[in-house]
Amino acid sequence: MKTPWHFMTPGDWLIVLFLLTTSLAGIAWVAAAPGGTRVVVTRGEQILFTAPLDQPRSIDLDGPLGQTHLVIDEQGAHITNSPCPRKICISMGPARHTGDLLACVPNRILVHIDSPADEEAPYDLLSR
Amino acid sequence: MPWNRPLIIGLLVVLLALTWWRLQPGDEEIRHSRLIMGTIVEIMAGGQDPDELEDAIDAAFAEIERLDKLLSRHNPGSDVSRLSQSDKGGKVAAETAEVVALGLDVAQQSGGAFDLTLGRLKSLWGFEKETPTVPDQDALSVALAGTGPTALSLDGQQVSKQAPHLQIDLGGIAKGYAVDRAIAVLKLHGVTSAAVNAGGDMYLLGQRPQTPKHPKRFWRIGLQHPRQKDAVLETVQVRDRAVVTSGDYERFFEQEGIRYHHIFDPQNGLPARHCQSVTIIADSVALGDALATAVFVLGPKAGLQLLTQYPQVEGLIVAVDGTLHTSPDWTRYQVTP
Repeated sequence: MKTPWHFMTPGDWLIVLFLLTTSLAGIAWVAAAPGGTRVVVTRGEQILFTAPLDQPRSIDLDGPLGQTHLVIDEQGAHITNSPCPRKICISMGPARHTGDLLACVPNRILVHIDSPADEEAPYDLLSR
Repeated sequence: MPWNRPLIIGLLVVLLALTWWRLQPGDEEIRHSRLIMGTIVEIMAGGQDPDELEDAIDAAFAEIERLDKLLSRHNPGSDVSRLSQSDKGGKVAAETAEVVALGLDVAQQSGGAFDLTLGRLKSLWGFEKETPTVPDQDALSVALAGTGPTALSLDGQQVSKQAPHLQIDLGGIAKGYAVDRAIAVLKLHGVTSAAVNAGGDMYLLGQRPQTPKHPKRFWRIGLQHPRQKDAVLETVQVRDRAVVTSGDYERFFEQEGIRYHHIFDPQNGLPARHCQSVTIIADSVALGDALATAVFVLGPKAGLQLLTQYPQVEGLIVAVDGTLHTSPDWTRYQVTP
């Protein structure tokens, strides 16, 4: 007795192969799409700067009081110099966990650690 | 048509369905932050329609900004500034009256550990200025004159001051109230899953939306360790609850080896010395705000006693010696003991 597969033509096999390949490729693409944890800097509603957290760099960010100096290194993202009067943003230390925030309120600079949606953090928000 | 063609078509349908199912992102989750009320206010909301979420978040931020204008003692036109400038008090907005009513209730229940009339004391210490200083005893006595749980009274929307020089400060409760109102606005817009976080004082509405990594679940909130900057003391899981933490590490300065922080004992005008931090889980952020301050001032024993008067409230206290004290049902929120 012949099985159903005996009735498959070479064209049918090509169609099946194409479907399998495209489906698996789509799933793999979605799984691989997100990058690493990012540093996102905003002023008001405007995104000033984004960068991967694992790539060291430093940048001056313009605000109404002057330039806030942000450093990204092995400790995380931290503000090392700021024109604000009390330097609270500097004393906040580094931000490196998803959801961590740094702010220079007088200079209107907000630094936020963001991660891909599929990267599970140990907690959603930090109460402090 | 050969009979195997339906087989291929069926296989095609199954594969497409599987692929579509795998690629479903779940709910949209939108997160925005703004600097309002002197702190970072962050709103996360989840749902199906991103445009509706954006509208809801904008409306919630607008509500917080509106309340900031009403309740800030730094805004000359606010209800709070008008009350402070007046000799006897005056009529205030319904929202201000609501905040004052809650504050007066906690002030009374806590025997004055929470106090809405410490405006002059806070100005004296200057924590919001460039160089805070330790005041002398005479200055502290002057700043505390006439303050206390009976120094203000409320009749409808009429606030009365017992002494003309009293300076009102709703800072210990206004931020929480604004978060509560923002949550109410999000609900009005049909949002069922959201978090509003104002400098660590937060309300978690519904459950955390589904993501590819996890299904819909309770919100997980890390609690800052009071003495280890990068450590989390505990993680709690909640839904439809406020989580508020007050600690001596938030704003402080050191002078001659002594740490001076911004949570004052109304009895003597000095930083309260019984606790390192207090976390409250409550129905509303405003109540959590007021109770966190009151319990911090009272210390572990009297603080936990105060919490027994609020059946829906749980608390975690880190005493000044680092020991942990919890209310009886705190464990139901714990993720990691």
